[in-house]
Amino acid sequence: MNSETKTKASKKKAAVLKSDTNGKLDQIFDLYPREEDSLIMILQEVQDRLNWLPPEALDRVADELNVPRARVQGVATFYRAFSLEPRGEKVIKVCLGTACHVRGAQILVDELERRLDLKVSHGCTKDGRFSLETVNCVGACAMAPAIVVNENYYANVKPDKLDKMLKKEQQS
Amino acid sequence: MPKDRSEKVRVTIDGRSIDAEKGKSILEVARECGIEIPSLCYHPGLESFGACRLCVVEITKPGWEGWKKLVTSCLYPVEEELIIDTRSEEVRENRSVVLDLLLARVPESDVIRQLAAEYGIHDTSYTKREDADTCIMCTICVRVCDAIGANAIATLSRGPDKYVDVPDKDACIGCLACALSCPTNAIPFEEFVNGKRKIWGREFDLVYDEISHEPIGTPEQIDHFAEKSGLPKEYFLKSDKVRKKETAVTFARVQF
Repeated sequence: MNSETKTKASKKKAAVLKSDTNGKLDQIFDLYPREEDSLIMILQEVQDRLNWLPPEALDRVADELNVPRARVQGVATFYRAFSLEPRGEKVIKVCLGTACHVRGAQILVDELERRLDLKVSHGCTKDGRFSLETVNCVGACAMAPAIVVNENYYANVKPDKLDKMLKKEQQS
Repeated sequence: MPKDRSEKVRVTIDGRSIDAEKGKSILEVARECGIEIPSLCYHPGLESFGACRLCVVEITKPGWEGWKKLVTSCLYPVEEELIIDTRSEEVRENRSVVLDLLLARVPESDVIRQLAAEYGIHDTSYTKREDADTCIMCTICVRVCDAIGANAIATLSRGPDKYVDVPDKDACIGCLACALSCPTNAIPFEEFVNGKRKIWGREFDLVYDEISHEPIGTPEQIDHFAEKSGLPKEYFLKSDKVRKKETAVTFARVQF
């Protein structure tokens, strides 16, 4: 893909995201009182619906709750549960806890970054399907190294098992 | 000020017996009596925040059987019988650690270097922050901006990555309150001969006094102050110097 078509594609994607944002957020502002105290709940609702917090969504949250835009940004960047980068429909979480680390989880991260052509905690695949994150223990040390994709746990993952995992997650 | 009616409490600061107004903080009372306590995040116009930990003092009471504790004087209200030591060994030790840490965070800050030197610290014993600016996260800028009602500045991210910024440049009114309140001069701004002011990466026009031709402020700032105060806009279109002159003339007329 040359750079021109690439920018066109990303512009198109931004336009799609924008229209999605407007429609999907209409109901959430009636769920909670329109005041500053509702900020975190509203941001969680946005994150649930869009998988991330796009700037225009934060603008709208600030407007609807009548909270300074700076404060919204402050809260959105404070909590790790909020993502200011686009996330895929499915978030692949590779556990990097001690047990998983010792059993080669970093190799899985490197391998996934290569296969999906993205960086940890940075954007999503071109089809918007996956994004990649690391976590510091999912509490499944006996299954090390473990990977969690949305609600699905994968135990004793080895690099050659990743293909099967990705295929399965691609289809479901 | 109805000074006589306010309730008083008797405290001792560094051996001096003082009748202090109830409700005031130790820091306020001490400074009123000319006893200097160092501080960085304290601002007289804002609610005390207790972030810098530099204003720690040691307190005790007659009934405490010799027991003492360290408190942040900007947050601790004066109480009856309170005995305060602003320069005990313990206090100096504590402030030294704070300054040592601050020096690691902002090795280039002249303000912090000078303060640290007063406590005998000329180089930090911790690892210096790389590419350090001079921000010490006192959040005076954030709080002063909120107090003014512009609400443009916020602390973003958290932990060691925390920083101060203006996420929505349009919210800034270019009033310089943040930059001028910053204890370590960490917020850069510029005023150019062509009548522009630059702060937080945005360029503002400047309004000049028609008589003295001094710069007064940005149009955004003047509109904001007029709206928030309810005073006519004309009030804000005069420089301090011109206003003083007018007051003098008015006063002279009233007198004679």
